[in-house]
Amino acid sequence: MAVIRPRPSGPSRRTPVASLPAPLTVSIPAGATDSAGSPAAHRLWMAVQLPEAQELKELQRLALCAQRFTPRVSLELPDAVLLEVRGSLHLFAGVEGMRRALGAECRRLKLQPVLAFAPTPLAALAFARAGKPRAILDVAQLVGQLAPLPLATLRWPEAVLERLERVGVRAIGAALRLPRGGFARRFGAAQLASLDALTGRMPDLRTAVKAPERFRRCCELGCELTSRSAIVAALAPLCAALGRFLTARQSGIMQLECRLTHRHAPPTRCVLRLAAPTADGERLAELLAGRLEALSLPEPVRACELRSGRLLPFAPERRSLWQPGEQGGSAGSEAPGLIERLRAHLGPEAVEGLALLPAHRPECAWAVTGPPPVRANRRAAPESDNAGAARAAPRPLWLLPVPEPLSMRDGLPRHRGALRLLTDPERIESGWWDGRDVARDYYVAVDEDGVRLWVFRERAAPHQWFLHGVFG
Amino acid sequence: MGRGATLARLLEHPAIWRGRSAAPGQVLSSGFVELDEQLPGKGWPRTGLIEILAARFGSGELSLLLPALAALTCAATARWCVWVAPPLTPFAPALAAGGVALDRVAVVRGARPLWAFEQALGSGACDAVLAWLHQAKSREIRRLQLAAERGRTLGVLFRPRAAARQASPAVLRLGLEALPAGVRIAVLKARGVTRGTIELEWPDGRPLRRG
Repeated sequence: MAVIRPRPSGPSRRTPVASLPAPLTVSIPAGATDSAGSPAAHRLWMAVQLPEAQELKELQRLALCAQRFTPRVSLELPDAVLLEVRGSLHLFAGVEGMRRALGAECRRLKLQPVLAFAPTPLAALAFARAGKPRAILDVAQLVGQLAPLPLATLRWPEAVLERLERVGVRAIGAALRLPRGGFARRFGAAQLASLDALTGRMPDLRTAVKAPERFRRCCELGCELTSRSAIVAALAPLCAALGRFLTARQSGIMQLECRLTHRHAPPTRCVLRLAAPTADGERLAELLAGRLEALSLPEPVRACELRSGRLLPFAPERRSLWQPGEQGGSAGSEAPGLIERLRAHLGPEAVEGLALLPAHRPECAWAVTGPPPVRANRRAAPESDNAGAARAAPRPLWLLPVPEPLSMRDGLPRHRGALRLLTDPERIESGWWDGRDVARDYYVAVDEDGVRLWVFRERAAPHQWFLHGVFG
Repeated sequence: MGRGATLARLLEHPAIWRGRSAAPGQVLSSGFVELDEQLPGKGWPRTGLIEILAARFGSGELSLLLPALAALTCAATARWCVWVAPPLTPFAPALAAGGVALDRVAVVRGARPLWAFEQALGSGACDAVLAWLHQAKSREIRRLQLAAERGRTLGVLFRPRAAARQASPAVLRLGLEALPAGVRIAVLKARGVTRGTIELEWPDGRPLRRG
């Protein structure tokens, strides 16, 4: 078998015709893990080839686990992960140790991959796809070992593989022996580039997977603390560090967890959720202090830890010349701060917004929502759509959650004395589709003190009167 | 020279300031002409705490404020309108019908309404804050008044009528009493305005039928 040593400087005598010059300059994108200047001899790639296609999430999980072995992990969709392990090989007692360690990791994830080592990523993949768990450490042996592998391991398009088969080329070695110029013309430049990358003639640039960053820092206290103010003081440097961490990454967080560790009891957790991303350590410390005040601690605190949620892109807001609320000022940026402070002290459900629903039954015509989204300014004043309808049929400003039955005398309702009906009845009925059918005649009534009420009379047999709202 | 003319000349002296002519801050029309006439500066103050003491819940205290709330929330640079500890949840369709932009309305509930009220007033995030408190000491109301000035916010405090006996640092205090087709408003305290009573009729209070 012919051993071919492809080198960028000049192919050896036995290398097939080199009519196309090898590329000399390659631009390297950011994050690429290979460089044109370093020959393949200085790299060792491990291919982790899984038996079947995986979801992206599964592959990413494997890639994150594989970052234990090297920071240079890249995905090969849909079923493989590539690791550049030359630098860390000695830490795992060589190829066999690395193979064992990664195999154990994969068993934990319930995966059964084929692991192959080669100086170029494509070669490692080709061995793994051929089901041969080889370890080629020397570039000099690479081409010789690759030669008998079927071309199908390179995953070229079916049509190209068929054309090659028709001229009798089934193995990689046979393809490498074809003249370069003719090869590019007949089978495509992409396939030639693939062959070059396979043999290390051309650098193969891979983008490394980046693990999402989080902030996590623990602080052991000098003594056990019970006082809230002392705990807050101990958390302050952690919050300041978090602020610096976020500022350096131009990121913000919307969730922060504080864990307080005790001697015996399980750690107390305190989760802070924010309305908008923030990178302000001082504000986080202030909010955390508010939450801690309401927290009950089972035991004194020995250590505290901050764990951030996902980092989000964060752009600091522009400061306006005008104060909010002044002529020309915007609606202001204090609203998220206010919501967060109220939520931190009163609980996450303390702040509600209101919304209209298109329904004719008064109980169904509205909803309580989360706090309204914070918008700095709006373009035009929104026109109230149902102002006209409301003029036709008055609605009370307060609605009782459940209609209150009223006593009756002479067929007229009473509520702290006799009620006087002011308006003609407004009939609201039906609702069979959700099982809460109504048939009611609504009236505006006024009681003896002059308070205006919204009352209705059931149309069904007992004709019971109910109080449903107060005009306010 | 008559005595009146002498007095008028004396009063022109720049060292003499008269309470009635005290320059009021920015005001906001209440939407009711008779009420505007009675209020200092012809409208609700834009900044500061006002107290509304209603004889009974539902005497018309909210209807009185509705036009002003609509004007505040529909402005292009509207800040928030926060309701602290309302006795019931305000009925959204009625607010929308009154012209209030619901995307600027937030309702706050919780164990500490006084604290939430002060935070909302002082935050600068709100145009108006309405709060229902049963008990508030004079000192606490003073704090609320200062917070409202700090946040340039109109604070409205609803309290029972019995609180009228208690002194209050609020800029304006109104007592309310429901009438069959309107409301009787007593100005209990206002800067630079004599006390008085007016009666308002609701614009939509049309008695169609005597029951």
